[in-house]
Formats: sequence, C-alpha cells, structure tokens
Amino acid sequence: MSSTWFLYMAFSAGLLFVGVYCLLTMKNVIKLFIGIEVISKGVSLALLASGFVKKNTLLAQSLVVTFIVVEVSLVATALAIIINITKHTKSLDVRKLTKLKG
Amino acid sequence: MMLQIVLLTGLVLFSILAILSKDLIKSAISLALASLLLGIIFFRMGAHYAGVFEISVVAGLITVLFILTIALTKAEGEVRESKLPKLVFPLFFVVFILIDFFVMKGLLQKIPALPETAEQGTFGDVLWKQRTFDLIGQLAVILAGVFSVLALFRKRNKDE
Repeated sequence: MSSTWFLYMAFSAGLLFVGVYCLLTMKNVIKLFIGIEVISKGVSLALLASGFVKKNTLLAQSLVVTFIVVEVSLVATALAIIINITKHTKSLDVRKLTKLKG
Repeated sequence: MMLQIVLLTGLVLFSILAILSKDLIKSAISLALASLLLGIIFFRMGAHYAGVFEISVVAGLITVLFILTIALTKAEGEVRESKLPKLVFPLFFVVFILIDFFVMKGLLQKIPALPETAEQGTFGDVLWKQRTFDLIGQLAVILAGVFSVLALFRKRNKDE
C-alpha cells in the first residue's frame, strides 16, 4: 500500500482517538454526542482515503454519501432523545441517567 | 500534498477544540469548521459529491440541529466537567500520535497491496446501478428517523 494511504489512516486514527477520549471523559450529553460526530468524521475520511488510493473514488464516494445520510438520521433521533432526557431529568449530566425507573 | 496535510491537521485541531471547548455553541461551531475542512479534503481527492454532502449536510444541517438542541436545553444549566481530562489530554494525545505514526510506518510495506482497478462510468452509474441496495437501506433509515422523531415529540392525550 502507498504511504499516502497510511498518512490518511494515521489522521483518521487521530480523529477516532479524540472522539473516544471525549466519550470516556466528558459528562455533558451533548458533548458526548459531539464525540460521536468526531468519530464519524474519522470513519468517513478512512472510507474515502481507501477508495482514493485504489482509484475507486466513485464507489468510496457512494459509500460516504450513504454514511452521511445514515448519520443525519442518527443525529436527528439522538438529539430528540437528548431533549426528552433533559426534560425528564432536568439536567444534561449523563451521570443522572443511571436510574432506569420509568 | 503539503496543503492536504495542513488541512488534515486543521481537521484534527478543530475536532480537539470541539471536544475541549467549555461553551457548547463554540463546540458546535468548531465541529462545523472541522466538517468544512473535511469537505475541502474530499474535494481535493476528487470526490465532489461526497464533498458537497459533507459541507451542506454535515456542516450545515447537523450544526443547525446541534445549536437548536443547545438552545432548547440551555435552561437546565451547565454541567461541571472536571478539569483533569482537559489537562491530561495533550499528554495522551502526543503519546497516541507517536504510537500511531510508529505503527503506521511499521505497517507500510507489510500489508499486501490489493490490485488497483480503474473505475468506469460516472458517480450516478455507480450509485444507482452498483449500490442500488444501499439506496433501499437509506430510505429505510430516513423513514425510521422520521418516525422516531415523530414518536418522541408526539403530544400526550388528555386521558394519559
């Protein structure tokens, strides 16, 4: 494989690290979701870089477009859930979500 | 290639800013800028459709949704984050980057290269003919998203 691919993969791994670090250390629900978004950026960069170095940009593009559509749907649903959770617990703190009592 | 590396570094820096910033609005805007840079990287790779989607949908729509949610939940007050993760982050990040580049450099000649196959046709051909099943999946996901948002925001009946 070419060194270009490894360069992109290194940056993509950096993005994944940033996202996972956010998920492990932050407490604000919205912040946690921003971490998930950062991870998704790393994944789409890895997908497109793999297609780019193998001269399969069109196929990689179509996968990235599919991924973005799924991401938007996920974001809309997750943010709606976050708003409902905030109404319920009166806080954005993820530690207050430990009770599963209806 | 140099410009591409600068853009990639900017992408990682804005992502770091997005997770470490105290103000949620600033976080959302940093995330949008990171998406913008990713879109430009896509354009420079020759993936124009993916770039357009990244800039219009991720940098535009998702940021609007984030800011809307932040505005709707602002009344509940801020969550106090502990300072230790923010202070320790640069150390962890530098260690990770060193390991990352070391491992990637070590793998450079080890992974066997798959054959390169030149593509033919246009983006439309690939999307509509090769990935037709993905489109059905996308429709299902969009509908699932719409119905879940409708279910989450439905009004309660009086007798409930």
